[in-house]
Amino acid sequence: MAGDHRAFLDATLPYLDVVYQVARHAAGNGQDAEDLVQETYLRAYAAFGSFRGGNTRAWLAAICVNASRSQARRRRLRPWDTSFMELPDTQQAAQAGGEAGRDVADVVIAALDAEAVSRCLALLPEPQRVCIVLMDVAGYTARETAEALDCPRGTVLARVHRGRRRLARLLAEAGVTHGGP
Amino acid sequence: MEGHDRLLAAFLAGELDPAVARRWDEHLLECEKCWRAVREDRAGRHAAALLRQPVPPGLADRVAFAVEVAAAGRHGQRDARPHTRPRWRVRLGSRLRWRLAGAGMLAVGAVVTLLVLLFPGGHQGGSVPAAVAAVARYAQAVPSPDRELPSAAVAPAEVGRPVTLTADGQRIVVRTWRLGGIEAVVAVSARPFSMPGDAQGVSGMGMAWSARLGKIGLYCVNGQTSELVAAPVPEAELAALAARLPPA
Repeated sequence: MAGDHRAFLDATLPYLDVVYQVARHAAGNGQDAEDLVQETYLRAYAAFGSFRGGNTRAWLAAICVNASRSQARRRRLRPWDTSFMELPDTQQAAQAGGEAGRDVADVVIAALDAEAVSRCLALLPEPQRVCIVLMDVAGYTARETAEALDCPRGTVLARVHRGRRRLARLLAEAGVTHGGP
Repeated sequence: MEGHDRLLAAFLAGELDPAVARRWDEHLLECEKCWRAVREDRAGRHAAALLRQPVPPGLADRVAFAVEVAAAGRHGQRDARPHTRPRWRVRLGSRLRWRLAGAGMLAVGAVVTLLVLLFPGGHQGGSVPAAVAAVARYAQAVPSPDRELPSAAVAPAEVGRPVTLTADGQRIVVRTWRLGGIEAVVAVSARPFSMPGDAQGVSGMGMAWSARLGKIGLYCVNGQTSELVAAPVPEAELAALAARLPPA
């Protein structure tokens, strides 16, 4: 039993990268992503004895998301919340492509900028945001995401699809508002 | 619309039957609205992928260290649990039991005396609170440069970035400073650092204490924010070293 933490680290440290990607976006105001990663691993270690050896990546993501939620509850903050600057009106953004007579995708791809993406991502409803972070940022499959979030795979696919579209529209609007690159 | 969206999402994820997927391909050639949805989906996915960031250097070590500290705490707790009575225990007469217990006490006393005589001045046991042990182990893990006494001309320079540890539920932020060839670790916590069994109170400093764990000297001042300095220097030098480090 003395080496159980070694076994735990051997099984989980290879997924540090994906946990970090999730933590960066799950950490809300006043939370530090690295603290959240550490908290995730400590919680996972505490529960390792009862882990039945399923998908370790999905298990770690679930712990990270839950840890961020409980930390946010303790601080009475919304999880997945970030202190972003003024953002474009979502209604306006939703109509950006059509009214401007331009293809939203063209506007977005031309003006991609990680900071703007991060700001716009923060505007999405939490369920869509979590799915996008897990699948498109951290690289989880739909099946793993469904397992981590304990919801049907079809729901995950629908959320990620709606989230991506909304994100693209928000980015298009941000590009129009701020004059593009 | 809900069902349409779900089908389109499944199509984009490549999860439709080939026949249904073929119909969607055909549909997309004619339906501007769906084609735009596909392009938005692609743009959103492409954009989100930009948010990937490399893992900060040192995070793996930090996590491994935190787990190691948690493991040490867990083993400590397990060791501290009262032992259950072994099944093979034979019934002994009460007089014999007392004699054996007395002999055991004498043996333990002899071993402790021997240890004290053999290793005077060093920390050879005693109860060390988990938070203090974690800071000491962290300080021990910091590679120290060539020994050089701190001189007044050298300003402390921070090495690496702050690291957060959690030991026995106590959250500790640890920073490492290089000062005159010494790597000193400064640990700060909102909770006081409990005194190890053989620590000495520092006169005139209220809740301050100093101790030694192996090669690491420890100097602690507890207050509203508690600070523990750990460095591989003699205890006599710790207070002066702590005074030269930036305030927490």
